[in-house]
Amino acid sequence: MIPAIRSELTRLRQPRLLITWFALMALFAAMVNTIMVSFVSGGGSLPPGAPGVAFPTRAGLESASGLMAGLAAAANMFGVVTLSFWAVATASDYSSGLIRLLVAAEPRRWRLLAGKVAALLVVTAAATTVAAVVNVFAVFPAAGAAGISTAAWGTDLVTVVATAWLNLFLALCAWGVLGLVIAVLTRSAAVSISIGVGYLLVVESLIKMVKDAPSDWLLGTTLSSVASGGTAAVSYGTALALALAYVTLGLVLAGVVFVRRDVTD
Amino acid sequence: MSVVATTGLTRRFGPVTALDRLTVELPVAGVSGLVGPNGSGKSTLIRILLGLIRPTAGGASVLGSPVASPAAYASRVGVLVESPAFLPGLSARANLVSLAHLRRLPLDRVDAVLAQVGLVGRDREPVRRFSLGMKQRLGIAAALLSDPELLILDEPTNGLDPAGIVEIRELLRDLGRNGRTVIVSSHQLSEIEAVCDFLMVIRFGELIFAGPMTEVMKRTREHIDIASEHPADMGRLEAGLVAGGWSVSAVDDVLRVAAAAARAADLNRAATAVGVTLSRLVVAQDSLEEIFLEMTGRVDGELANGRTATDGTVAS
Repeated sequence: MIPAIRSELTRLRQPRLLITWFALMALFAAMVNTIMVSFVSGGGSLPPGAPGVAFPTRAGLESASGLMAGLAAAANMFGVVTLSFWAVATASDYSSGLIRLLVAAEPRRWRLLAGKVAALLVVTAAATTVAAVVNVFAVFPAAGAAGISTAAWGTDLVTVVATAWLNLFLALCAWGVLGLVIAVLTRSAAVSISIGVGYLLVVESLIKMVKDAPSDWLLGTTLSSVASGGTAAVSYGTALALALAYVTLGLVLAGVVFVRRDVTD
Repeated sequence: MSVVATTGLTRRFGPVTALDRLTVELPVAGVSGLVGPNGSGKSTLIRILLGLIRPTAGGASVLGSPVASPAAYASRVGVLVESPAFLPGLSARANLVSLAHLRRLPLDRVDAVLAQVGLVGRDREPVRRFSLGMKQRLGIAAALLSDPELLILDEPTNGLDPAGIVEIRELLRDLGRNGRTVIVSSHQLSEIEAVCDFLMVIRFGELIFAGPMTEVMKRTREHIDIASEHPADMGRLEAGLVAGGWSVSAVDDVLRVAAAAARAADLNRAATAVGVTLSRLVVAQDSLEEIFLEMTGRVDGELANGRTATDGTVAS
């Protein structure tokens, strides 16, 4: 499988793709931190079902973990970006016709798919790091301007940063796998991104707005819970287990389709 | 021994039969040509040989291994399927390096094939800046990357300028002479005629002909192309020759008479007898194109799609 990973990593080294991916992660990290600090300091509250963001309370923001709260707050936005780039990286093999060369060179198709997933995990780790670094650089000036206390932010710094990074990374991996699965099924980046964004911004938000609708198991909610290290509604362990189930189901589906379907592109 | 063998190979796409009980063997070493009208099943056959699609019925083997186990021969086969396929945002070199990694090849093979197809110096440019001809060269480089025993090339000279076409034809001939097997699928029959030792013709998924090129060329016949001094006389000339028992057909601006060179003088006399002076009389051989059209009919394969084949299926 190592050759497939090296091959995929070479293909992912497309300057435009990586710059756009990392720039969007940085943009959302900076933007959400600024908005979050301003919003929390003003005592505002989000409407139920607001898509893509989950802001902490003022106390939460001023605690030690508040330093990295922006990552969890924007987890679903980061997730949509990650879904999009996994989908683009997967669907471009079909749209360019490269899939013919790849499958002819490595007919054990599961290796190709596993290599792609592993390589995308590496780049997702880098994208998560970009978001984490920008988060740290963005939150201090925003907090200073909004009068949010940062006194506790240095406490247990390594653990707080590492935990936030790991939780976001796990959530983004699941979002990415979702993008890959849709791209394998549809063989189109545009359709995959439309389905992913449409689901998060429309379908899941609508379900959440329906009174008494059971929404804790929804993909966005689950992955947001993973990124936050668990919420009052969904524990971290439950969220992780649910996310793992989603990922496993998705990978099995993508694997079966990828291995069995004719390559006619 | 055969490099590719198929037995009753059939592939259906819903109601459409793309390959219909194809049984053929292609010889080891040399260049084999795969020709047929549009939609005749050439691409389907190539995709089955590469393990990209599975047959509905029948079987096939490549380099002695069944197509059901393409991993057994994939490392020994180089391919250019349809158009060259690369990531436009990556450089030519990076695209080849990616394939070299996948095939577990040393990276000096990338330099070797770039030199072989004349892309040294342009290899660090993004593929999106390449002309069609350069992409085609890169596609051939990718096919040559593993120094394969068997090369399967679909329209290898598509988009190349005349000098490039000559260069690639020479490369294909060299590979064939050096013990490699090259299968070339092409619509350019002059190209097939120029480089191939063996020919396979399919139409509506059925095998029309498979044999050495020398055998094909034995089917060629002499003909005589004639033209009258005054274009207005061409109709009278054709009518007079047909009345005299000559087999005549109009081709472009000449009349093509099916006759051997020895009858040229008789033909000239026949023209004179109907009061027409010839300004042109050229003895020539049928080209592969004419033999091909005779074998496959003068119908565009894709336009003929939907036509019902002998077994009741709809051919593609």
